[in-house]
Amino acid sequence: MSGSEILSTLLGSEVRGDLLVLFHRNPGLIDTVDGVARRIGRTTVAVISEVRELLVLGVLRQKRIGASEVVFLDRAKDRELLESVANHLKTVRISGEN
Amino acid sequence: MTAPRSKAGASGFDQLFSGRVEEGLRVKTGIVELDEMLRGGFMPGDAVMLAGSAGTGKTTLALQYLVNGVKLGEPGIYVTFEELPDQIYRDAKNFGWDLRKLEEEDKFRVVCTSPNLLMESGDDSLLDDVLRDIQPRRLVIDSLSHLEMFVKRDDMRMEAYRVVRYLKTRGVSSVLLWESPQISGGSFSVTDVGLSFLVDCIVALKPVEIESSMRKALVILKMRGSDHDKRLREFEITPTGIKIESAFTNYEGIISGSPRKIASEKFMELFRGASEKRK
Repeated sequence: MSGSEILSTLLGSEVRGDLLVLFHRNPGLIDTVDGVARRIGRTTVAVISEVRELLVLGVLRQKRIGASEVVFLDRAKDRELLESVANHLKTVRISGEN
Repeated sequence: MTAPRSKAGASGFDQLFSGRVEEGLRVKTGIVELDEMLRGGFMPGDAVMLAGSAGTGKTTLALQYLVNGVKLGEPGIYVTFEELPDQIYRDAKNFGWDLRKLEEEDKFRVVCTSPNLLMESGDDSLLDDVLRDIQPRRLVIDSLSHLEMFVKRDDMRMEAYRVVRYLKTRGVSSVLLWESPQISGGSFSVTDVGLSFLVDCIVALKPVEIESSMRKALVILKMRGSDHDKRLREFEITPTGIKIESAFTNYEGIISGSPRKIASEKFMELFRGASEKRK
C-alpha cells in the first residue's frame, strides 16, 4: 500500500482520527470495542466499522481474552506505517516546491 | 583464622539468623531510606501491597519503584485501570521520568485496560504478549481495589489470588495498589476482604494531622521472611519523587488517627517552659 493510500485510510473519517489519537496517546491501551468507544465518547455502532478498517490496515490488532475480543495498537506496524506516511509527505512537499 | 566477612560486616551465618538476606538478592526500590527500612529491598518475586487513601502518593511511589528498576536493568510494567496512560506520562514527566522514552527502549510499558479483562481466563491472558515482549522483573497494578467493581465480594480473594499466582509463577515481583480508607481510627485492617493474607509485604501510606498541618506517614506493616523497620516514618512528595524522612519519634497514636505527643516529650516541653520563665 502506498503512502498516500495509507494516509487516506488513516484519516478516512473523524471517528478513525479520534481512534488514532486515542491509541497514539495511550499506546498501552487494551480494551474491547465497547470500551474503546466509551473512551472516545462514541457509541459502539459508530466505532465498530472504523476499528475494522484499522485492523485491516494493521495499526490495530485483535485478540481473544476469555469471552471477550480486545483491540490494541501494534507498535511495530504503527511505526512502519508512520514512516511510509512521512516519506510520502516528503515527496509531496518536494514536488510542491518544484 | 576468622571467617571472611561480608560488606555488611556479618557472616552468612549471622545474616541467616538475623533474618537478613544478601543485599544483591533483594529487589531494591531505589529509594535509599525505604530500602534501609526493608533491609535491602523487597524479597524477589514477592507480592507487595501498597495501601493508602487517595492522594497519599501510592502512584508516585509505584512509578518510582519501576523507573528505578529500569535503571538497575529490570524492565517494568505499570497496569492501570484508572488513569489513561497519557496522564501517567505527563505526571511522571513532572518528576523527571520520561516513560515514553523507556517504552521506546522496550524497558517499560504502561498497560491500560479494564479489570474484568485482566481476570478473563482463556488460553491467553491479557498480559501474555507484553510479558513476552519486555520480560519484566517488576509489575505494578493500579489498583487491585478496582477488581471489586467486577467481582462478588466473596470471590474477591480468589480472583486476587489468581492474579498474584499468575505473576509469581512468572517470577515477577509485583506491587499491588490498594485504596484503603480504613487505615484510620482504631482499626489496623488494611482490606476488609482478607487480601492481607495473600500478599507477602504490606506498605501503608497515611495522611496524619499534626499541629494543624497535614503530613504523610509510611509504615511497613508486614514483611514475610524478613526483618524490617517497624517505625512510622514521615515522607514527602518532592519534585524528584518520594523522600523518606525520620521517624515520628515524639508522637504516638498516629496510625489510630489521634496523634499526641508522648508523655516524656510533654514533660520536657513543660520543663523547658518553666526554665525559660525563670530566666
